[in-house]
Amino acid sequence: MEYVSPEGLRLDGRRPMEMRQLRAQIGAVAKADGSAVFEMGNTKVIAAVYGPREVQNRSQQIGDQALVRCEYSMANFSTGDRKRKPKGDRRSTEISLVIRQTMEACILTHLMPRSQIDIYVQVLQADGGTRSACINAATLALADAGIPMHDLVTSCSAGYLNSTPLLDLNYVEDSAGGPDITVGILPKLDKVTLLQMDAKLPVDIFENVMQLAIEGCKAIATYIGEVLLENTKQLEYRKGL
Amino acid sequence: MLHSKTFSKKTRGGKVQKLVREVYLRDDIYCGASFCKVCDTSAARFTASASTILVLDTNVVLNQIDLLENPAIEDVVVLSVVLQEVKNKNTAVYNRIRALCSNPARKFFVFSNEFHRDTYVQNMTGESPNDRNDRAIRVATRWYQSHLGDAVKVLLITNDRENKKKATEEGVSAETIESYVKSLGQPALLDLLAQPASEDIIMEEVEDLRPSKRKVVYPEHKPMSEITAGLTSGIYHQGKLRVNRYNPFEAYVGSESIGDEIVVYGRGNMNRAFDGDIVAVEILPQDQWREDESLSIADEDDDNEEVHLVPSSADDAPRTTNSVSGSASDTNPISGRPCGRVIGIIKRNWHSYCGSLEPMPMPAGSGGLVYALFVSKDRRIPKIRIQTRQLENLLDKRIIVAVDSWDRQSRYPSGHYVRSIGEIGDRDTETEVVLIENDIDARPFSAQVLACLPPLPWSVSEQDLVNPIRTDLRHLRVFSVDPPGCKDIDDALHCMMLPNGNFEVGVHIADVTNFVHPGTPLDDEATQRGTSVYLVERRIDMLPKPLTEDICSLRADVERLAFSVIWEMTPEAEIISTRYIKSVIKSCAALSYVEAQARMDDSRLMDPVTKDLRNMNTLAKTMRQRRIERGALTLASAEVKFQIDTETHDPLDIGMYQIREANQMVEEFMLAANVSVAEQILKHFPGCSLLRRHPTPTKDMLEPLLRTAASVGLNLDISSSKALADSLDHAVSDDPYFNKLIRIMATRCMTQAVYFCSGDLSPPEFHHYGLAAPLYTHFTSPIRRYADVIVHRLLAASLEIYKLPTIFRDRPQQTSIADNLNYRHRNAQMASRGSVELHTLIYFRKRPIDTEARIVKIRSNGFIVFVPKYGIEGPVYLTPRGEKGGGEWFVDEQQQKIKKMDGSLSYGILQAVKIHLEVVEPQPNRPKLQLTLL
Amino acid sequence: MREIQLSLNQTQKIRLQKALQKLESMHSKANSDASVTVADTIPISLEDNILKGHGTAERNGEVVATVCGVVERVNMLVYVRALRSRYKPEIGDIIVGRVVEVAQKRWKLEINYNQDAVLMLSSMNLPDGIQRRRTAVDELNMRNVFEENDVICAEVRNFQNDGSLQLQARSQKYGKLEKGQLLKVPPYLVKRQKQHFHHLVQYGVDLILGCNGFIWVGEHCDARDSLPEEQSNQTDEQTTKSTRVSETMPLETRQHICRVANAVRVLSTLGFSLTLEVIMEAFNLSRTLNLGIDEMLGSEFHVLVAEKEAERRSSLTKKKR
Repeated sequence: MEYVSPEGLRLDGRRPMEMRQLRAQIGAVAKADGSAVFEMGNTKVIAAVYGPREVQNRSQQIGDQALVRCEYSMANFSTGDRKRKPKGDRRSTEISLVIRQTMEACILTHLMPRSQIDIYVQVLQADGGTRSACINAATLALADAGIPMHDLVTSCSAGYLNSTPLLDLNYVEDSAGGPDITVGILPKLDKVTLLQMDAKLPVDIFENVMQLAIEGCKAIATYIGEVLLENTKQLEYRKGL
Repeated sequence: MLHSKTFSKKTRGGKVQKLVREVYLRDDIYCGASFCKVCDTSAARFTASASTILVLDTNVVLNQIDLLENPAIEDVVVLSVVLQEVKNKNTAVYNRIRALCSNPARKFFVFSNEFHRDTYVQNMTGESPNDRNDRAIRVATRWYQSHLGDAVKVLLITNDRENKKKATEEGVSAETIESYVKSLGQPALLDLLAQPASEDIIMEEVEDLRPSKRKVVYPEHKPMSEITAGLTSGIYHQGKLRVNRYNPFEAYVGSESIGDEIVVYGRGNMNRAFDGDIVAVEILPQDQWREDESLSIADEDDDNEEVHLVPSSADDAPRTTNSVSGSASDTNPISGRPCGRVIGIIKRNWHSYCGSLEPMPMPAGSGGLVYALFVSKDRRIPKIRIQTRQLENLLDKRIIVAVDSWDRQSRYPSGHYVRSIGEIGDRDTETEVVLIENDIDARPFSAQVLACLPPLPWSVSEQDLVNPIRTDLRHLRVFSVDPPGCKDIDDALHCMMLPNGNFEVGVHIADVTNFVHPGTPLDDEATQRGTSVYLVERRIDMLPKPLTEDICSLRADVERLAFSVIWEMTPEAEIISTRYIKSVIKSCAALSYVEAQARMDDSRLMDPVTKDLRNMNTLAKTMRQRRIERGALTLASAEVKFQIDTETHDPLDIGMYQIREANQMVEEFMLAANVSVAEQILKHFPGCSLLRRHPTPTKDMLEPLLRTAASVGLNLDISSSKALADSLDHAVSDDPYFNKLIRIMATRCMTQAVYFCSGDLSPPEFHHYGLAAPLYTHFTSPIRRYADVIVHRLLAASLEIYKLPTIFRDRPQQTSIADNLNYRHRNAQMASRGSVELHTLIYFRKRPIDTEARIVKIRSNGFIVFVPKYGIEGPVYLTPRGEKGGGEWFVDEQQQKIKKMDGSLSYGILQAVKIHLEVVEPQPNRPKLQLTLL
Repeated sequence: MREIQLSLNQTQKIRLQKALQKLESMHSKANSDASVTVADTIPISLEDNILKGHGTAERNGEVVATVCGVVERVNMLVYVRALRSRYKPEIGDIIVGRVVEVAQKRWKLEINYNQDAVLMLSSMNLPDGIQRRRTAVDELNMRNVFEENDVICAEVRNFQNDGSLQLQARSQKYGKLEKGQLLKVPPYLVKRQKQHFHHLVQYGVDLILGCNGFIWVGEHCDARDSLPEEQSNQTDEQTTKSTRVSETMPLETRQHICRVANAVRVLSTLGFSLTLEVIMEAFNLSRTLNLGIDEMLGSEFHVLVAEKEAERRSSLTKKKR
């Protein structure tokens, strides 16, 4: 299968180093403390953050920091074939864990001892890169909830198909079976908080692909930063003096 | 950069599924004209002076690829929508058009119209995908015209009348390919034009050509929808049609749905299917099942069984039928195998074929357009009707013809002439035919490939010596043993007695990977070629000559780089330790098998090399013995050897290839090296090693062997390779040749060993049946086999000398490389056989001969004999041709005997007979060997 | 981007946008780019004598924001005022909360803070109003005072060193709130002011703007207002309170309560700061337009309020000049 034509175009008309269109909307869930919808092309994810609030299960309370919980799910209508998916299958448990750990790494949990932060992410439309989109949505929602963080985590995927590193794989490219990595970084701190790859790649190519993914993360960070700043300004001027 | 996005919906079979795909439309796709003011011209293709730019429709690319490959066609825009359609319909054509587009010498430019802002076409409701694509082509053409302005004429080339009409309506200039070619004024090009299927020709034109012949010959193919429905409901069966190599009127369709092969008899039932086509078959009612006719030697029409080389494995052998009770005059009319007929063709396997024109009288007005019938060399292919203007030129030539269409009204498919190879019967021409038939690239290496070679004259440099990865083994007494006249010496040996009484044995293999680096044009070329091809009079190298014969060849008395496997062995030939090192060696002698054998046998000689040889021979014998005990099969083949006149290259003599102890000795160490290396690479790279396996033959495959053996009262145990080897050993009779004959027949039942990627199979499947080895690979001939080059790289990586090339991480690509190697390997063997057959024919042309032969198969009207001396096999007819089932002879299936009715004469299997061998020419230009009973 | 989640038609959309733009233009004049997002560097003019306040952290010698908000500088203190976040309590804040748990000698209140706030039995005036030690009987009768799900008004007393929040309700103005609506708005919309209790006299409605974003709109309760003046009249108050429970509220008052509540809802959807003035303006607007209470939550009213607010603010700035 040819994923990059000799003319250098991918199946959807992008070039290898191009990302899909990004869109973000903050405040999609009225009742939540913070919420956001994040779209990367046809992948659409909604995230809601509740908290910091009283720990529900007292035994889980941590004396010196906040408890971060995350629940990932996929809407039944998110993929082409409508399937009732059991809650808490392996994949969603794993992604929940990944998101939780990634977000925990950037939240200043020590500022909110004995409290709990719940992050709910749901995939509304799946077209590859759901993991990244979930993390980006969660970041936006956390920032919207006013939860103090080191930095805005952003995530992007990249893959290696037809001997070409490709940024931000869509579903077709994702299911091609080639190696793909999901990277999450703290852009301002220049640190990696998430790196997943379940295939083998030689180190030099891996570095190229990783670099590409990091570039993607940085582009997303710029976008997310703009969205948040605009949002803050809007809130501020609407509020008035 | 990102423009708008649109959605397209698709449904898929079974469940209806809505798929949404984004399309990013761009403004940075350029037109490819170097004179364009607006676009980026760095990737431009068209000549600056181009006055006409052609835009091709899909049907033109699909049908006229031979014409497009002609350099007369220039300045062509290939739209991505066209490429996509071509790819879906015919991958071979797609690859060819892609090759054209990537060739900088040709002015073909790919325009990604599907992603261009202005040329993207949205599917309209109710519009078929075909119509949409046609519209897309027209839109793109119009865009080109308006983009480039009036200076250039943009011409849409389409053979679709509807599309042409619409184009003209929309103000796009359009022409058919025929009228365009005519306008070029080069009549030779017209021959290259594919004939459009008659549906496309306007009816009156057809009637002019063949007024009275419009009758339907073949039943109609069912529409695709009906076929799919039939396949799912189980009425029809899908499979690849394979035509019997020895009887083109019989074909088999292996169907998974019924788990058996469906036999298709006759051209009518085959219904225009070619060998290799994927077809849908309907099973005939049982009373129409014909009894197995493959027992008789086919002689329908003018085709009949030819004399050919003895097949060396089940892959080359003619398809034999499973045990069918009943003889020619059978009482049981219903055979066990279902018969069917083709009701539709799912995927065509058309390509171009080699052959010649059927002799025909020259029409009165020469030079005009005439129809001729083309006869392919491959007997499985039906005759092909072509149109030509140069009949007188082509009649005595070998030509290549491509198939265009086959409609119901015509008995033969129609095609068009592609090119001619040379005079029929000329050895060079026929050799080239052999090469073309087997898809072997015999072109000289390109300049880019040659540029990858190290500068000549080459010698081991100081750098190589000080390189820490390389061990200096020049002090060792290394020598090579090869066939006489061998120039590409890729293996050498040494053997040294150690103080502790053990032996150090080394196998040194030319270090080809030191010169062939991954990713270079040289490597790509070698990957493609896969193997060197050995023809009788010539060798087609995988690597350029300087590497093959000089730099890598481990010749005597020169320092060479090698990759060595060094064992410490006990005198009982038990391996104590194995080392793998890159080394520098200096061979002290390049012996031939004969020489080596002579040295070992000559008890007077006591020089060190001879002593080494003897030691090694002792070790090798022990190893061989152990291998045989483990169950390795000693198989036999009927290889022949020609003595070639050095001047004329004509064969002077022909004889069986003799195997000496020295051959076996070298073979033994090579096997051991291969096994050791296989273990090493698999240990380090369990997922991506290239190994070689030999599948255990199934009972069905061994069935003919068992039947033959049973008929001569031999009981073979095939429960395991060990059991088979033992029972083969016990198969002796007073006939000295008997054992070898049985072994040859056993070999013939086995499939060939194949390369595979270790990640694709599970370890139990790695087994090599013939060698009774759990692991095997090819390491010892990197000069002539690409598999060995890969294994060298793997081994070097496992020793951490080099990094593993990236290709090994790409499983699908690796699998495709392994598949290509198997394909090339098979083709190389087929080509060698073809070449030997060709030379056998040339040899016997002047020398009819009487010789002894063995009966190997009994047929209803004769038997197949094997001529051991020349390694050939062919039919002997007992009944004269045409007198079908004369009743004079009958076949005793149980005893595998053919008897005369009166009992006066009978022939049994494996019986020796005297035959006469001569070359006859029943039709001009088609000489063949004929065997007759004396 | 945050979008106001209303179904607007085209003209309404344009009108709303115009109003918001007006607000924005006024704002940008007043306040320069002080907005930051997470991990933005906060430019510091003073060399090193600054105090880093909330929402800031130091990284590589630079001060960076840890939340999205507005940079505020008070002398040497630099902090980021987060906009949307949970309630950040300060001592003395008047808050409205809901009892979620009755525990040992304490009530736990949900007040939109990181944790539930604690109201000790001891920091609570007893029903009988007598200052005395709390006895075991009192402890047993805690549910007679506040039950689960009761809405309570209280004041932030102090922080415990484990981070938990202590409340007190030692004044008569605090205590259980009844006969009204509890609204939850983002706390940043409630500005700390002198007065958080408002009595809308002509409508007989009490409005409590809790600093934690919980807003109470309920029937006016005389006792509380009068209480600061008439401390002695405790017994009376007690009787009135108990008698009033059984009384039914006049329909008109109910309507007023709903109207005020809806005004608050509209303002909070639009993200406008909640002050008595603004609320009353929206309230009056709806009345002058003769809108039904339910119609107030329609998109048209939102647009009207936005336009009105823009007008109001511009007139304010003009006045300032």
